[in-house]
Amino acid sequence: MRRVPAIAGRELRSLFASPVAYAFLTLFAILAGFFFLTQLLVFQEQLIRLQQFQMFEQLREWNLNDQVLQYFFGVMAVILLFIVPGITMGLLAAEKANGTEELLLTSPITIWELVLGKFVAGALFVALLVALVGLYAGLLFLYGDPEPGKTGAGLLALLLVGWAYVAIGLFASSLTRSQAIAFFVSFVLLMVLWMLSFLADLGAADGGSLGGGVLGALGGWTTSALRYLSSADHFEQLVKGLVSTRDVAYFGVIIASFLILTKAVVESVRWR
Amino acid sequence: MIEAERISKRYGDLLALDDVSFSVEQGEVVGFLGPNGAGKTTMMRILTGFLPPTDGTARIAGHDLFRDPLAARRAIGYLPESPPLYPEMDVEGYLRYVATLKGVPRRERSGAVERALVRCGLSHVPRRVIGALSKGYRQRVGIAQAIVHDPPVLILDEPTIGLDPVQIREIRGLLAELAAPKEGGTQHTIILSTHMLAEVEAICRRVILIHNGRKRVDAPLAELTRGGARLEELFTRVTMREPDEASAVAEAGA
Repeated sequence: MRRVPAIAGRELRSLFASPVAYAFLTLFAILAGFFFLTQLLVFQEQLIRLQQFQMFEQLREWNLNDQVLQYFFGVMAVILLFIVPGITMGLLAAEKANGTEELLLTSPITIWELVLGKFVAGALFVALLVALVGLYAGLLFLYGDPEPGKTGAGLLALLLVGWAYVAIGLFASSLTRSQAIAFFVSFVLLMVLWMLSFLADLGAADGGSLGGGVLGALGGWTTSALRYLSSADHFEQLVKGLVSTRDVAYFGVIIASFLILTKAVVESVRWR
Repeated sequence: MIEAERISKRYGDLLALDDVSFSVEQGEVVGFLGPNGAGKTTMMRILTGFLPPTDGTARIAGHDLFRDPLAARRAIGYLPESPPLYPEMDVEGYLRYVATLKGVPRRERSGAVERALVRCGLSHVPRRVIGALSKGYRQRVGIAQAIVHDPPVLILDEPTIGLDPVQIREIRGLLAELAAPKEGGTQHTIILSTHMLAEVEAICRRVILIHNGRKRVDAPLAELTRGGARLEELFTRVTMREPDEASAVAEAGA
């Protein structure tokens, strides 16, 4: 495992040697700023309205965590859905297109070192993105008093969901030499994983409607299985501040499974 | 140093290599010849552990390539057909990365990189970005990455392809120097594939010729060129003998 830092370091340096990394960082920072600000303005407006109508009961329950940060983190998780595939698409596909795969696979390194090195590179980049989100959230601490624990849980949720995306994106990147295909495959996988819970909601909500009818017929077992598999549901639990082993473990399992799959695919190149 | 034992490689229906065996002693420089599609690149990819053979085994510096792959790979420097370069890296950074991958200990890395830069005539461009280098220089960087960890075995797939005559002469000089180093340097065992027969005559001491996946010739160069015989005639004779089934039959009938 000694070569993991070298592989991750080279990957990150190359990422920052091209405009790609900066483009993604800028885009992410702008989007984060936009959604943060709008959420904050909405919050402010609603506070004023609550005061005008003298709804003190509700006013007492309103806070920065539940009304601003939770939504903000949720939106950023969706934005990561689009951005992470762009970062991970080249991780392995570019090595193939470049011919450098031949260097890696004839070097005295194990495939695990290669796969983990690539994952660490992507994971660090995502950590940087989450740190940006943390910066915005941190601003609230200057002017208000959000709960540190809840805020931390939200950032942790974002980090975990981002790392799971990196593992999935890495897997997609191992399948092909085309970065465009890698992007598309990982994007579709992430989308499906995220939307599974909507599918489950559909099934649970209305047995009479078309989609619901089918799922309803499949029974409650299917809907709870779908819900369990969906990244959105686990993210939601964490972001509410409910840090449970069950949800953290879910992301751990996703990351581990896709790393194992990636290793198998890279290995299989040798046997084709 | 290199032992290939009964290696076969099948791609679906195509038999790319058919029961090829040979062994190369330490310090030998072997020219690996054959027409395009003869199986040269496949053989080299097998010897470097990039591809597994369908059948057969290989040992590099005494390490079985399939049972002890990491030790075997550590002993090999490999220049693939297209040099495995990262265009956005600079020459020195790239060589340092390769040295790390090849397991050169941290303390020795700078020395190893420096040595490779000097040997390949790159010491005046260490900070140059690889993507901005000329083809000849990129080929030199390719060779530099193959020798940076000072491996006993070098496997070079067409090291002079696509270069101009001056560059070819430079690379040949470098290869000759790797094959017969001045005092103190490692004497590399080299397998070199090429289409340039003059190159073989200039640096190799032995020739292995494969055609249609089978080994046809394996002899010292001196023996093959005895009495003023040209390598080109041999190459033409061997590879033309069975261009396809029909002419082989015609020849048998005649």
